[in-house]
Formats: sequence, C-alpha cells, structure tokens
Amino acid sequence: MTQTQSQSPPAARPLFTGYRPHAVAWDELFDAERRPHDHCRLLVEGLGRLDCAEFVQRRANADHVFIDEGITFSVYSDRRGVEKIFPFDLIPRPVAAAEWDVLERGLIQRLAALNRFLWDVYHERHILRDNVVPADLVLGSKGYRKEMVGFDPPGKQYIHVCGTDLIRDKDGRFLVLEDNARTPSGVSYVLENRVVMKKVFPHLFQHCRIRRVEDYPQRLRQALASVAPRPAIDPPTVVLLSPGSYNSAYFEHSFLARHMGIELVLGPDLFVHQERVYLKTTHGPQRVDVIYRRLDDDFLDPNCFRADSVLGVPDLMKAYRAGNVTLANAVGTGVSDDKAIYPFVEDMIRYYFKEEPLIPNVPTYICARPADRDHTLANLDKLVVKAVNESGGYGMLMGPFASNAERAVFADKVRANPRNYVAQPVVSLSTCPTWTEHGVAPRHVDLRPYIVSGAMTWVLPGGLTRTALVEGSLVVNSSQGGGSKDTWVMENGQ
Amino acid sequence: MISRVAEHCFWLSRYLERAENTARILEVNQTLLLDFQVPAEQQWQPVLIISGIHDYPGPFEAELVQAHLTWNTDNPCSIASAVGIARENARVVRETVSAEMWSHLNQSYRWVQSEAARQLFHQDRDEFYDRVRRVNQLFHGITDGTMTHDEPWEFLQVGKFLERACQTARILDVKYHALLPSPERLGTPVHNAQWSAILNSCSAYEPYHKLRRVGEPETAVPEFLLFHPSFPRSVRSCLLEVRRALHAISGRPVSEPESDAERAVSDLVGWLHLVRIDDLLPAGLHDALTNIVNRIHEIGDAIHRTYFDVRVENYAAKPFDPAI
Repeated sequence: MTQTQSQSPPAARPLFTGYRPHAVAWDELFDAERRPHDHCRLLVEGLGRLDCAEFVQRRANADHVFIDEGITFSVYSDRRGVEKIFPFDLIPRPVAAAEWDVLERGLIQRLAALNRFLWDVYHERHILRDNVVPADLVLGSKGYRKEMVGFDPPGKQYIHVCGTDLIRDKDGRFLVLEDNARTPSGVSYVLENRVVMKKVFPHLFQHCRIRRVEDYPQRLRQALASVAPRPAIDPPTVVLLSPGSYNSAYFEHSFLARHMGIELVLGPDLFVHQERVYLKTTHGPQRVDVIYRRLDDDFLDPNCFRADSVLGVPDLMKAYRAGNVTLANAVGTGVSDDKAIYPFVEDMIRYYFKEEPLIPNVPTYICARPADRDHTLANLDKLVVKAVNESGGYGMLMGPFASNAERAVFADKVRANPRNYVAQPVVSLSTCPTWTEHGVAPRHVDLRPYIVSGAMTWVLPGGLTRTALVEGSLVVNSSQGGGSKDTWVMENGQ
Repeated sequence: MISRVAEHCFWLSRYLERAENTARILEVNQTLLLDFQVPAEQQWQPVLIISGIHDYPGPFEAELVQAHLTWNTDNPCSIASAVGIARENARVVRETVSAEMWSHLNQSYRWVQSEAARQLFHQDRDEFYDRVRRVNQLFHGITDGTMTHDEPWEFLQVGKFLERACQTARILDVKYHALLPSPERLGTPVHNAQWSAILNSCSAYEPYHKLRRVGEPETAVPEFLLFHPSFPRSVRSCLLEVRRALHAISGRPVSEPESDAERAVSDLVGWLHLVRIDDLLPAGLHDALTNIVNRIHEIGDAIHRTYFDVRVENYAAKPFDPAI
C-alpha cells in the first residue's frame, strides 16, 4: 500500500524518513543532498532515532506542561477567550555558533547605530542635515516625540531592549527584516520553550552543547539597574509597568517580573509627587527609579499624550524630563523602528561608525520616494508591501499570493498615502522541519534575537524562532496564528 | 508590597476558604438528612443564609439548593464561582504566588470546570465535596511550604482566617436558630444530631468531645466554637491569627495596635478574651453572634482602608521620601 501525503504517518516510521525539503527555500537542518548541515548532525541523529509515535507522545507531554502552567497568549481578534496556548513545535531550530557570533556582532553594531541615531534626532540632527536620512520621514514619523527634544537619557541609551527580526534568504544568508525598538515581546516564550525542551528531550541536551538562555532575566535586570538616575539609592528600585492582564502579552510581563525579582505594576499603582515617581504600597509610598514599561508612548501619561489613557501615570513625563526616573525603553524610540526609516539603517552604521553593516537589510523600496512608489505599483505581483506603522503582520500585501482585486485595493491605498508604505521583494524565508498531521514537513521560519543594553550590551543566544504553521505561509506572527520553536546555538565543533 | 497585589492575595484566600466552607456545610447537611425527615425548607434555608444568600427564589429542594451552591456561576458564593474568582485573583498576581501554588490552583480550577467533576458530583457526592475541601487545604499546604513567609504570605493568612472566623460565627448563628431549646425537644435525637452537625460543619466534632465538656450543648458548643484559643476554626483563634499577621506586616508588637485594622481586630480579640458564654446567653446568642459578624465585617473594611486604598492625601501632609 502506498503512502499518500493526506494520511497520518505510520507510527513506527522514524521521524525524518520521507522528509521532503522545500523546493526553493534554505532548510535549517538539511542541505541540498538531504544530509544534515555540520552543526545539525548530532541533533538529527538524536531526533531521528525517535519514531513518529514516540514523537507524538512527547508532543502530548509538552502540551500538558503548557496547559498546566498556563503559558498563554491572547489574540485580539479571537473572542473565544482571554487566553490561548501559543503553539510550539518540538523540533528545534539550530544555528551554528560560528555563524551566531557574526550575527551577535552585527546586532550589537546595529543597536549602537540606532541609539546614536536617536540621540542625533533629538539633539543636533547631523544625520538629517547631511541628508543621509530624509528629515521629513523622521519628523513625520508616528513614533517621533517632540517632548524628547533636548532631553538626555542616562548613558545616552534610548533602546534598552531590542528585538531585531532576521530571516534567511534562499542561499542561507541572514538579513534583517525589521527592528523592534519600542516594546518587543516574545522572550518569555523563548525561556519557557527551553524549559519544555529540557523536560521532553533531556537526552538531546546531553549530546548537543547548546548555549543557555536562562540568564536573560538577570541580565536585563542588571542593565536596567545600570541606567538608574544618578541620585538613586543603591540598589535602585526597578519596576515593570504593564497595561494589565487583558493585554495580549500579559503572560510575558508577569513571567519577566517574577524571574527578574521586580514588582509588576499597573499605572494606577504609581503616582508622581513633586516630579518624583512613587509606588502605592501597604507601608505607604515608595520611590521608583527605573520603569521597564511595556506600554506604548501614547498611553504613558494622560497629561502629556493621550488624555483618555487610564493605563499610564499622570505627570510621568515631568518626572522623566526632570531626570528623576528612567524609562526603558525611552520615549520616542518608534522613530528608529519605523518601517520607513528601516532602509536607512545601513547608512546610519556607515555614517556614525565608518563601518559596513555586518548584517544587511532586505532590499527595500520606499514609497515616499516617487521612483520607488512607481516601481512598487508596477510590480505589486512580485512584492510584499507593508504599512510602515503596523505590527503583527497586519496591513500587509503579499503580492504574489494576492488576487488582482486585492492588489487593486492595495494600490489605491498606496496612491492615497505613499509615505505609509514600503515594499520588498518576496524573500523565500528559510524553512525548518516541523511536525504536521502528515508527519514532518518544512515550514517557513524567522528569528527574533533579543538585545539587552544598559551600561553594556548583551545578546541572548538564539532568540524566538517563529514558525508559520500553515503550509506555504510566510506569515509567522503569533497574532495571526503562527507558532514557535526553540532556537539552539550549537557550540563549536558540534 | 503593592497595595493592589495585597488586595488580590487577601481575596484569593477568602474565596478559597469560602469554597471549602461551602463544601463542608453541604456535605454535613446531606449526611444529616439521611437520618431524619426534616422539612426541606427548614433544612436547606439555613445553608443558604450562612452563605449570605437571602434572595434564593426556591424551591428548597435538596438537589436544587446544592446545585445552586455548587455550580451556579451567577452566585459568587457557589463553589464553582469561588474557585474561579480565587484563581482569577491569583492569575493577576501570578508573580507573587509560587509556581507550585499557581499550578495547583490552575489545575483545581480546570477540574471544577471539567465533566469529570460533574460526574463525581452525581455519582459520589461526598467524594466530590472532599475534593473541593482539599483544594483549599492543599493550597495552604503548598503555600506554607513554597512561599516565603513575608508580607504577601501574611495577607493570604489574613484573608483565610478572617473568612474562617466569619464562617464559624455564621454557622453557629444560623444553625442555632433551629435549635433554640424548647422543652419537648431537649435531649431528642434530632436535637443532638443538629448539634453534631454544627460541630461537623466546623470539623470540630472530635476535638470538642475530647475535651469532655460538662454541660448542655446549648452552652458548651458555642463556647467551644467562639472562645477556644487554639482550635483552628474557633472565632477567637482565627482572629488571633489575623491579629498576628497584621502585626507581622507592620512590625509593631501585638500590644501596640496603631492602624485602623490593628485596632479593630484588637478590640474584638480583647472582648472575646474577657466575655463569658453565660454573659451572652440571657440576651440571646443571636444578638451576640450578629454583633460578632458585624465587627468582623468592620475589620474587613478597616483592612481595606489601611492597606489597599492608599490615598496620596493621607501621606502628602508629612514628608515620606528621605531623599528629598
């Protein structure tokens, strides 16, 4: 009896038998001859010893850990419940240590450039005056905050936590897809995924040497403490400001606060008195020095930004500008992760450091420029077009996969507001073997490493590998039904 | 600790205690009915009143009342609601409770929601109520063993013992009504069975009898349940625990109550220490018990004012920041 793709795989079949890599995309585990890459050999041997039935059993075990621990994520458009479990695939995504070391240097370089850029934008604006980045794109960006002009954040640091999304093209080369310099999320899933993997596959950890991720919370805490305002007592009081339990990333806020050993606070728990920030406690008000805020700028201070926000703290900006509290990330960082600014980051690196970027951008057309806009409109069937200020995969056109009608609608949007759109060629994201109901099959992945910056900069080894769960889909975002994998930075010589 | 978090710990504990008590009362009541033909309204209405439900539309039929007090999610005092509210309180302060506490509470909540729980309720009612009681008992066992005994833990204790004091007083008050001595009923099996039921509702049956009380149950049982200093469910010993916890939070010795909450509980503990059961009986135990329940509510209000409702106005008058 022949095995067809529409049936479940036989229980006794070894996991990778019959695995067919994607025709075009780079495969994270296997090369063109279907042999494991060097750094994947031990992993493929170890996993390959399992048959499908054993693997399914381990999946069930992993699911129990997630459900019992309530490791969840809520999806705004889903009204069925407040919490859903974030889908997790047990097959890890490996990265060779040597390759990672280059990425690490590239990410540190890029973050340093973004921080320099922000300082420049809110002070002398040299880079705008020298026309390296168009001033109108910066000053017109939704993320620009005039309240930050002339303000000196501690250590000249604006971005304390950054999630820079990377993808691999069909030749296996890493490119930066976008920066996330406001409130990047997902690191709690990285940490919980690792816990689950260690429970489910202890033997793999014994055979492969994988860099640890568990240090993240303490590294972040150290970084935040290192940027406390000068007169703070030692140790400074650091809190995590969250919008609360109905926010989609609340699980992460709670997780990080617990693991960092800091208080998780809501806006109403804080108040400002004489330009200083205090926390309402059972023993009376307590001074706060650093706020790791997981709240958009707009909601931070009803007396400065959106007046209808109940999530923030009235007069917080007064305390901030007086230098009495540090906000991480700083206000106004959205101008640096604006999709319209993204194409210029390579030039920022050259301008500030006289270096070549170690990790290149995906080639990008900026519709604010007439020539780029015309090219985009003429090639909608070949390009991915994105609205510059959306996140989570919303407001996007996947040109080659869209209907003529969808492309026409999008073309109208671009013509109506060209400044809001950028376009990129479709990159065939790399794929990674992923469990499906038909057995192991390739699914597209990206990678979000996390960079923590205070007095020093540290990069979490690996990061969140996000997986598109639908065959052929290139949309990996959790808010649209994607899943994740554990990312393994494999030590040298493995 | 953050006032809001303290408040969640307080209520988390109260609702779990409430769920355990409801299960206990329902189980005892059920057992009692196996021996006697008592009119349904007489038997089930007290149970509703103890739970603070005065507007139950009826009918007072055993299965309906039990369902109302076990499953009805419109009723915040039902077992299902109470466990759900407790879990929700824990969820929003997950970073405060230990991982094991959360895990147990989450699993317990999921069990209560499950079909398996419903089936157990129908097939083995006693076992069902036992399991519900164990949710709270295990929770505190895990809590005591895995959570640092600092301020958040103390607020869990305050909530637990305040609720328990209230429950004991209410059980006594409501059940006592059904047992006002009348000559033709003294010493009858119904009479004695009802006293046993009160004691069992407070898990006090064996501890009480071990003391070999002399005297009529009308006196000895209330005396035990109100005043015993170390039976864990007596009103007095529960309030002693509340007082201990509040003073652990403030750091002040028990002899120096200062906050509204400390003073309110100190007052009531002092009164319970001095008053005798014979002082209360002439005026009717009901008045005394109503007074006690009201004063427990006032302690709850004082706790709210003292710890949870931090107003800047109360602090702005004097400098509270040494750094300025």
